[in-house]
Amino acid sequence: MLYPSSGTGQFAANSAKIIRFVRKGCTNRPFFHIVVAERRIEQQGPAIEQLGTFDPMPNEQDEKLVSLNFERIRYWIGNGADTSKSVRRLLGLAGFYPVHPTSYITASKNRRTEEEAALKASEETKPNETSPANV
Amino acid sequence: MSIFRNLQGILTQIPFKYNAIYPVHMNACLIRLLSYVPAEYGPERDPAPLYFNPEVQSLLKSLTRVNLDRVFRKRKLGDKALEIPTYKFMTDEQLQETIEEAKKRADELLQMPPVVQVRKPIDRIIVKDPALQGLDSSRHIFTDVSFGIKDSDRLIVIREPDGTLKEADWAVRDRMNQLYFPKPCRSLKMPRLFQEEYLSNLLSHKEYIFVLDRACTQFEPDNPDYQRVTSITYQHINDNDDFEILRSTRHFGPLAFYLTWFKNIDNLLLELIETAHIDNANNLLQLYGKIHSVQYNTQELQSLEGITEYIKTAAQKKGPLELAVQAYKDLERQRNELKQGIQVAHGLA
Repeated sequence: MLYPSSGTGQFAANSAKIIRFVRKGCTNRPFFHIVVAERRIEQQGPAIEQLGTFDPMPNEQDEKLVSLNFERIRYWIGNGADTSKSVRRLLGLAGFYPVHPTSYITASKNRRTEEEAALKASEETKPNETSPANV
Repeated sequence: MSIFRNLQGILTQIPFKYNAIYPVHMNACLIRLLSYVPAEYGPERDPAPLYFNPEVQSLLKSLTRVNLDRVFRKRKLGDKALEIPTYKFMTDEQLQETIEEAKKRADELLQMPPVVQVRKPIDRIIVKDPALQGLDSSRHIFTDVSFGIKDSDRLIVIREPDGTLKEADWAVRDRMNQLYFPKPCRSLKMPRLFQEEYLSNLLSHKEYIFVLDRACTQFEPDNPDYQRVTSITYQHINDNDDFEILRSTRHFGPLAFYLTWFKNIDNLLLELIETAHIDNANNLLQLYGKIHSVQYNTQELQSLEGITEYIKTAAQKKGPLELAVQAYKDLERQRNELKQGIQVAHGLA
């Protein structure tokens, strides 16, 4: 059965709710809706309400676009809805929540690997640079 | 006309020998004449309170000179099939009513685009967080899509790859607003017709109304690009004396306001005197007086007093203006003589 991606607006009373991603798009082209849904319902199942979108592929100007309906996000969080980790990370980057600790961890890991790669590359190029002088 | 006048002046300044040896310089001279420096309503003074003043609006409207035939002309917009006109028998009363209705619709169609100050750039940094450096190589743009928020009030922020969270600048704001809340006939990227080379081509074909209409749909009125395009178009119109093309359209008011604001009304005034619209010329001087807080004797709409006063004190093109005033006086005298002659012939005087 197909449900409207904007949400059905229907949910069981007192059910646990979560704000999370739903993968839309197609093969090799991810695109996410940010929805509030009942926790027990599978990812592609009916959402209660769509709260935003997230396009993880950078566009022409090298930007990742996120749209968030903050008014409704506030409402659902106020009504006890949980947020998934990836949504929390995104809300942290948006300045809505404090920045998620894993964002800092990933950032520092990335920096370290980058530095190591740069060091390696410079070590590899060094003998090449000196070789014409030796010859 | 006036561009030729300018050109003539420049041609006479260049000695003939020089002209013969370096013909290329003549072309350079021509090109320089056709390129304009856009003038925008800058931060020094805000035009909006003056422009939206009801008196100024009514002056601009009278300068527009509403002609219903032109307002309801056939327009090739490409989106509507033309309707077959219907003919009706009407009493005089009904006819008056329909004409009143048409005037009301014309008022709506002639609503002038706003003239406002150019917007200030946004550079507000919310937080700098260097610990986030390296998280992502591209920047994230967060747009608040909550219901019922105006485009101008919408919260749009950017998280840069170096961890800075800042408010989006105007270009990004425009793009995001058009992306999530599209306005009809507005494209995400600026159409190429607004680029200098294509714009000058369009202007040379006198497609002023097309350019101005398109600019109105594409840009917000405080956009520097809007002010650039309209200012170049207005200058082109002013230099080529193409005021008649814009009459009875919604763009004539902003054009007159622009020329008055930047003290460049001589061509328009000359055209008004040459076409014997002395009341409009006085309206223009009233507008000039309002904007630059000077007083000309323009109470009597048919008198030439205010105009001669303006020519003496503030005009840049004194010669042509004085000649035009003299020509108008002669015409008026001849007309009076003819009138009297006719009356004498009828044995009334």
